[in-house]
Amino acid sequence: MPSFSNTWLPFIYLYGVGGAFFLSGMILIKKAKAINFQKKRHRYWWNVTIFGYFYFMAIHVLLILAALYL
Amino acid sequence: MEVHHSLGTSTDWIVMVIYFIAIMAFGSYFSKYNRTTTDFFFGGRRFAWWLIAMSIVATGVGSHSFIKYSAKGFTDGFASTMTYMNDWFFVPFFIFGWLPIIVYTRIRSIPEYFEKRFSPGTRFLATILILLYMIGYVGIGFLTMGKAILPLLPQDFTILGIHFQTTLMGLVIVIALIVGIYVTYGGQTAVIFTDLAQGFVLIFAGGLVFFLGIDYIGGFGIFWNLLPTTWKLPLANFNNPPGFNFVGIFWQDGVAGSVGFLFMNMGLVMRFMATKSVDEGRKAAVFNILFMLPISAVVVGNAGWIAKAISVAHPDVVPANTNPDAVFVVVANIISHPGVFGFIMAALTAALMSTVDTLLNATAAVYINDIHRPAKKWLTKKVQSFKEEDKQELGAARIATALFTIMGVLAVIPFSAFPTVYEAHGFFHSTLTPPLVVAIFLGVFWRKFTNASVIATFVVGVALMVLGMYYPQPLIQIFDHGTDFDPAHPYTYIGALYNLFVCVFVGVLTTVTRDWQKKIVEKIKTNPNHKSIMTGITFISGALFMMVIFNVASLPILLVLTAIMLVFVVISSNYYSKYSEATHTEGLTVWGIAKAKETFKGSKVNERDGERIKVNWKLQDDADDLMHFSKNDMAKMAADPGDLVYICDVRKIFGGLKSCHSTYGDPHDEDGIVYITQEHIDQGQFVKGKPVTAEMEM
Repeated sequence: MPSFSNTWLPFIYLYGVGGAFFLSGMILIKKAKAINFQKKRHRYWWNVTIFGYFYFMAIHVLLILAALYL
Repeated sequence: MEVHHSLGTSTDWIVMVIYFIAIMAFGSYFSKYNRTTTDFFFGGRRFAWWLIAMSIVATGVGSHSFIKYSAKGFTDGFASTMTYMNDWFFVPFFIFGWLPIIVYTRIRSIPEYFEKRFSPGTRFLATILILLYMIGYVGIGFLTMGKAILPLLPQDFTILGIHFQTTLMGLVIVIALIVGIYVTYGGQTAVIFTDLAQGFVLIFAGGLVFFLGIDYIGGFGIFWNLLPTTWKLPLANFNNPPGFNFVGIFWQDGVAGSVGFLFMNMGLVMRFMATKSVDEGRKAAVFNILFMLPISAVVVGNAGWIAKAISVAHPDVVPANTNPDAVFVVVANIISHPGVFGFIMAALTAALMSTVDTLLNATAAVYINDIHRPAKKWLTKKVQSFKEEDKQELGAARIATALFTIMGVLAVIPFSAFPTVYEAHGFFHSTLTPPLVVAIFLGVFWRKFTNASVIATFVVGVALMVLGMYYPQPLIQIFDHGTDFDPAHPYTYIGALYNLFVCVFVGVLTTVTRDWQKKIVEKIKTNPNHKSIMTGITFISGALFMMVIFNVASLPILLVLTAIMLVFVVISSNYYSKYSEATHTEGLTVWGIAKAKETFKGSKVNERDGERIKVNWKLQDDADDLMHFSKNDMAKMAADPGDLVYICDVRKIFGGLKSCHSTYGDPHDEDGIVYITQEHIDQGQFVKGKPVTAEMEM
């Protein structure tokens, strides 16, 4: 079985540190009013960006599990 | 290490030549749409998202990817996909921040943004760094193309009685000649359409390698079971080996690379400028990152995975010591029949050409915009008509493209010293991108980031990065996350974290101390000899910079000298430049996008949502440059006179190629008819009798 530094440590680091960048971006564009929640298109793009974060996270979880257990 | 030569058959060469002729003819056909330098460089801001998204695939995938990711797939497994799956973290910054800014400010190059946001001096420094970055990228492209084609050629050959030895540099020069000629006459529209075709072909060719490879091995189950568990993990080991580890690649590619790619890769930025609107740009970016990048990760890396599986099952077919950079070509040759191999190789080399031609086109754009025009303005006072000037610039752009092609060839020399293209590219990215990435990022998202700060980031940040190269221990070691030190190529990837840190540190420190800097400069100005004092300070700054670059003292002394240089650089920058936060940030940061939009339109923005309608066009007699719709049609589009309108040939297959932008004029009463000028018809290449769709932009 590969070690923790081969499997889940890179994953935690990627979505922890990467997530911090992502979250700061979301907060910044909201604070800067670069996104206007009155507009349907902007709400759509906001949801798409959040979806994208969890989409890539899910892909990596599935691939790690497949490598370890399939 | 196993070296391969003369792979493939004459059938493969015939297929390759036919493919190249076809793709060049396809691109050349679209060069007729280059009517001005705007079309030549930006494609005229008219394309649909899907066309741009697919053409970005060819640029991203084509960029040395098949070779370098197959190499890493062979040596390190599925972790070769990492770099394609770590770009999402900066998407909010891009689609809501940088994308609207580049479109609404109508900038033609990244250095131009630096002039608007900071000062002409900053534009000059940014131009130097951007050109170095892009020429380096062209060099990486040429190196990869050379490495891809070399295994196909014999070790030596004779033409007309003259004996030739096949060498990497010789091959690179021949490739550069072909690429240079093509892009010099094609322009951005040709590049976009060539890339569009190649985007599809690449995905198909990469997929073909995967399916043929699985078939060769005996099925997916056998392939999966042949691979060791560590090869199947999608992320590399956290911090080792030094040649490929997660944490280094996260900072080098996931942070510096992603921001660099989205924010300062002129080739990519110009693609987004070619989309018809900000929303289409968002669609193209999101579709590309969410769907095309994961597919691309498989497409570009799978030859390495297949090679690994074959080397486990049949080490005599693919020896474990095969040169990683030759793995793609070796595997494609083993698993495919004559002709199919030629097609795969043609797709690969044509894709590499896509990347290089995109970059060369972008480099010429930077040259015209940031060197040619300012220099011409300064040197000559002759007034030329728009047409005369445009013709001259097109000629200059073509000469510049040829010159940058030569420089790209020269850049191959240092990169070829690295063991693989992956390492060469990693080092290049972690070294050249941080100062620009930090400067653009802080400039766009931090209003308080000043002109003095950005100059200090460029000058002192670069000096500290150079110190990091001379003294990786202890400077980069502090950030190494436990990565082993390789004396031959010290901290190839994690060096990016150190470089980013020092640039951010300089940028932030000089921004938060801006009031003190102003007080010092005011005090100097009260001295009757202030001009002489400042000349001395500037001269000393330059001397200190050179002392660091040439490593003339020990590390502690050089660090003290760098600190002194930092003080002198910010004082000089504050003294010589006229920077005002109010005027230099309006519409140029994420905090003023509404203002940027208003400036783009030239009047108050119409935020109502209207319909897209289908109308027939008629040529109008009067000379105004407006489009006239009926009252009812304008009501459907929720448009008022003075709003911006976009009309496009109704056939979606053109992806906006036949389209143009204009402004609504006063309405008439003929529903379903739009009156347009001859200039609109020429711009949009509209066909008589074919209706157009129309929509209100803002």
